[in-house]
Formats: sequence, structure tokens, C-alpha cells
Amino acid sequence: MSPKKSAKLVEELTSVAHRRQIAERPDRWFAGLSVRDAQVLTRHLESLGDAGLPLRLGVIHTYTSDLLDPWLKLHATVQGLDLQTYHAPYGLNLLEAQTGSGLEQHAPDITLFMLQREDLHPDLARPVSGLPADRKDRLKQEIVERLSQVLSQFRRTVGGLMLVSLLPSVQGACLGQLDRHSERSENAWWHGLREQIAAHLRDHLDATILLDEEQLINQVGRDHFFDRRYWYASRFPFTPLAANEFARVIVGFGVLLKRPKAKVIVLDADNTLWGGIIGEDGLHGIGLGQDYPGNAFVDFQRRLLDFQQRGFVLALCSKNNPDDLQEVLDKHPHQVLRDEHFVARRVNWEPKPANIRALAQELNLGLDSFIFVDDSDHECAMVRQELPQVEVIQTPKNAVAVPTCLEQLARLEILSLTDEDLKKTQMYTQERQRRELRDSLDGQGEDITGYLRSLDMKMSIQLNPVAHVARLSQLSQKTNQFNLTTRRYDEQQVADFIGSPDWTVASFSLADVFGDSGIVGLMLVRHSPDDAESVAIDTLLMSCRVIGRRAESAFLYAVLNRLAEIGIKRVSAEYLPTAKNKLVEQFFDDHAFSDTGDKRYVCELGDAQREALQALPIDVTLE
Amino acid sequence: MSMIDDVRRVIADTLNLSEDKIDENSSSETIDAWDSLAQVNLMMAIEQTFDLELEVEDFMKLNSVSAIAGFIEANS
Repeated sequence: MSPKKSAKLVEELTSVAHRRQIAERPDRWFAGLSVRDAQVLTRHLESLGDAGLPLRLGVIHTYTSDLLDPWLKLHATVQGLDLQTYHAPYGLNLLEAQTGSGLEQHAPDITLFMLQREDLHPDLARPVSGLPADRKDRLKQEIVERLSQVLSQFRRTVGGLMLVSLLPSVQGACLGQLDRHSERSENAWWHGLREQIAAHLRDHLDATILLDEEQLINQVGRDHFFDRRYWYASRFPFTPLAANEFARVIVGFGVLLKRPKAKVIVLDADNTLWGGIIGEDGLHGIGLGQDYPGNAFVDFQRRLLDFQQRGFVLALCSKNNPDDLQEVLDKHPHQVLRDEHFVARRVNWEPKPANIRALAQELNLGLDSFIFVDDSDHECAMVRQELPQVEVIQTPKNAVAVPTCLEQLARLEILSLTDEDLKKTQMYTQERQRRELRDSLDGQGEDITGYLRSLDMKMSIQLNPVAHVARLSQLSQKTNQFNLTTRRYDEQQVADFIGSPDWTVASFSLADVFGDSGIVGLMLVRHSPDDAESVAIDTLLMSCRVIGRRAESAFLYAVLNRLAEIGIKRVSAEYLPTAKNKLVEQFFDDHAFSDTGDKRYVCELGDAQREALQALPIDVTLE
Repeated sequence: MSMIDDVRRVIADTLNLSEDKIDENSSSETIDAWDSLAQVNLMMAIEQTFDLELEVEDFMKLNSVSAIAGFIEANS
């Protein structure tokens, strides 16, 4: 970006009075901003007074990291985060991993490791290419072990997320143009090493992620990524362009930790999924196909499938004749998204805020998990105005910019990927089928019990399920409505509970004639240190996906029965109200707990729970 | 005179200072916030604002308002 363009952009942005309008711009406006303009914009955003949520970042680095500060600050203020950064003294120093260190006292939400390749092993100071094959393999193992040891030390003292970044080589490939082709390829060796490191972190270290800086290099290009002058003079490798992009990615992880999780992408149809208007242009007149501008919309639809792979679900909200829209979904040869890709839809002439509210109700999800994509100024403004919880992205007018309009959205990144995420669209479809069955039984005069029996439900409860740490932490972070205490735990904490004799951790999955829910419920029970017969329910939550099938009762009673079997006589519990969990306000009252005042409860274990479990239309097994 | 003012503004914006804290005689010696890290940010800001390329050798010399203004006038 030229100095003039950067200054002009900042002039435009500093006249915007709402932070969200900058944060929700569908272009990469920040790419190429000058450091001076970044500072000016940051001050403007700070003056809007909308930086509420604190984000604490700790940086362990073996090259200059403080020069990232203006960029980190910029992206944090854009996202409404109040960033506090601690830069440890230079070096990969284990002193920082000790109790009482500057890092530990900073209590970071994110600890970022900015490492160079040479930090991993002294042998990396020379080419790897010429080493014998077995030495190369051993070197990889030694590196993974060393790195793992260091990171484990940090993992023991700092909570939150750990991000490990490896600065790519300032130089090109060892063997030049032949590097990709050769069996001695150094790039291939590095690629293999990074895979091994990532696999090791996945399996052995909780909430520790290897950042792919190669992806950043691909994004901005190697020549635009490194500035050798600052590298050799000040050990700062990045051009402003790269620093900006790197900071955006780091802050993006903060957004994932701090802001409500996005779950649904609600899409308009005309001029969003295709160019033009189906009601006017007709099936063969809309822009969707191999030529411009239709090819851009095909690409956008293809990209939406990628978001589905990350665990987001798609829904439609458009003002069309339902038959016109259906014709595109069924018959257009270049339409990528078909019926099965949308978990719900509102295709009608009602106002969109009302339709989005109806979608939230149908899917049993909070409005703050919605991202709304629409090309119309009017619709976007109306949804922003009436549903401030919904993130609104306006589809660019320019077709070329459409396929990438969701790329800079931090909330469409993910921290983990579980089997449940991949099956989400399918699960919502099953839920729709259940609803249809219920409605049809209802029409035949059957009551709810008849419907529940017809589902043939089987619940499987896992006790202390080490294999599900990622999913359970995800549930604890994401579940808002069916959550009695809304305590958020990261993977590390969940793993600690599972490993501790003072806690009982239970999870469950529910299968019925339509399919298996995957892991959808979590209960954390704390044993009393001075009374072997008493426990307290620290957490009880359930995904809204299985609401309305008595699963919560079966889960609670089955776990209580198990506790009774190991000699527990008394259970205490509490309901902590939030803006979102009114749904479960009466949960303990409804399950025969006695209210001791202030929504605190006790329950004596005995036959009552066993009988209650037997009366439920769910077959329960405990693993 | 206007080049001096332009430079003062860039320094003020980049180092997060009020413009009236910087005059034509200001330098890294007289301004606390103008430390070695700030110097790197300032060099980037000068390059980006005035659309020029600096050499590493220039970094150390460009440590005052007058030096920077003189350099820009001579090189653009």
C-alpha cells in the first residue's frame, strides 16, 4: 500500500464512530498500513471506549518481540480487547517456567513462544540435507523430545493457551529449485519435523498449538515477509506487513478465548451465494458458473464448505419465493450448497431480525453464536441495530472480493477439532427429523412419553474419560444455556480433574433411532476433603443439541447412583445465574434437591434416584 | 519549515506523544520515549510515510528531527 493510500484509509477509518464497523469490514484493510497510521488508528479506537475484555499475553522469545507491540495493540483494540503484554527477558529461559517468574505472575491467557529454528538443536546451525538418513530421523526425535521437555515445564506453571511459533528460514531452500524434487530435500525434512512436533503436542500437551508461520509466508510472500535490514540490525525479522499479519493471528486466538463462540453462519441468497436475483434473473440468469462473476460465487460456496469442516453450521435467511430458491438448490448445475448443507432456513418476506431470532430458537442456540452474511446495506444495518449480539458481515459489492469476505473473521478460526464438530450438520438434520416425528405423533394424539419411547434412546456415560479432554473443555467453554454454574475450564484443567482422586468427571453421549449425538454432557463432582460421604457438583452442563429428551435427568440420576455405590450419602449443588442460563433455574428443584436458600441445594442419596432413573425412557450404560 | 513539521508529526504519531512535545531541536537525546526500539518503529514509519528506503547505516544517524528532515529533503 502506498503512503497516500495508507493515510487515506486511516483518515476514512478514524471517522468511523463504531468499532464494530471496522472489525466487521469484509476486506483486509490493515494489510499494508504504516506503523504510524496503525498508532493513529489505535488511538482513535481507544477513544471510542469500547475495549472491555482484558486479554493477557505473555511472550517468550529468542528474537526481538517488543516491536510487535503497536500491531498487537491495534488488532486487540479493533477486537474490543484490552491487551496487556509481558515480554520475558530475551531467550528460551526455563527460569520463566518457574513459580514466581514474571510470566507466571502475569497470568497470561496466551503464552506465545517466538522461537528460531536454531533454538531447537545446535546441529541446525548447519545444513541438514547432507546428513545420513538415520541421523536425520534421530535429529527429529531429539528435537521433539527437547522441545517437549521445555514446553512441559511451562505447561506446569502457566495456564491458558500456549502458542508455539517457529520463525521460518530467512534464506530460501537448501537445494534451491531442486529441493522439492530431491530425496535430500531440506524443506521436506522440516515439513516432517513440524508434523511430528504438532502430533506430539496434540497427544501430550494440553492447549498447546503449533502456529504455522509457513502459512503466513505464503500469505504475504517471502520477500514481503522478512526485512533483512531490521533482522540484521535489530533481530526483528518482520516487515510491517508481516508483523501486522502475525499480530492479527495472535490476537485472533485471544478473540476465540474471550468472545462468545460462533456456531452458525446465516447466509442471504441473492448477491451472496450467487450474483443477481433469482426472482428476476431466473435459474439461468443468475451469476453462478465457470465464468466471471459466477466463478467467484462458486468459490465462495466452496469456501463455506471449509467452514463446515471446522464445525460451523450453515443456515439460510433470504427474502425469496421459497420455490425459486429451491429450484437453484435442486437444479442449478453449478450450485455447490444443496439441501443437506443447511441445518435450518427462513425463506420468506418477514424482517430478517425476526427470522434470525426464529432460527436461534429452532437451533436452540444463543444469538451471540450467529454470524450473518448479507449484501444489503439495509438488512445489515437492521440486524446490527436490532440484534447487536449477531456479528454482521456485508457481502462485498465487488464479486472478486466475495470469496474471501469471511477470511479475516477471527471467530471463524478454531482452537480444536473434535469428531462432534465434523458431524454437526448431520446432527442438526437428525434433530429436525426428530421434531418432525414428534409433530406427527402429536397429530395422532400421542403424548411426549410416546414420542420419547419411540426414539429408543441409549445413553452411554463415561467416567474420567481421558480420551475426551478436548471435547469436554470445548463443552465447558461453549455451553451457555444448559449450564448450572458456567465455570469455564481449559483442556489442562479438565485433564487435571480427570487425573485427581478428589474429582469425579463424567460425560455422556446419547444415541437414538436417528443417530448418535457424540459427547454432549459433562458433570464435574468435587469430593469433600474432610467428609468421605459428601460431594459437591461443581459443573453440570449439556449441549442444547439433546435438550427435550430427558437426557439431563438420566445423566444426573445415573451419576448420583454411581456415587451412592461408592459410599457417597450427600450431594450439594448450586445454580449460578447468568444472562443465558435461565432455562435451568429450576433444574435442581425439579430433581428433588432441597433449596437451602440462595439457589444452593443439598440432596440425600437413596432409592429415590434409582427409581427415578428406571422410570425414564432411556437405557443407560456406565463405562 | 513544513518538512520539519511533517517529521514532528510522524514522530509524535509513532511514539505516541503530543506534537507540542517535539520541536526542531528534538532528538533521541532529549525525548525519553525515543529509545532504540522506538528508533526502529520510527525508521519504518519514516520509510512508509515518505516512501523511501533507508540503509542500516542510516538508522543510527537519523536520530534527530533535523537529521531526518535533512535526509528526506536530500533523498526525495
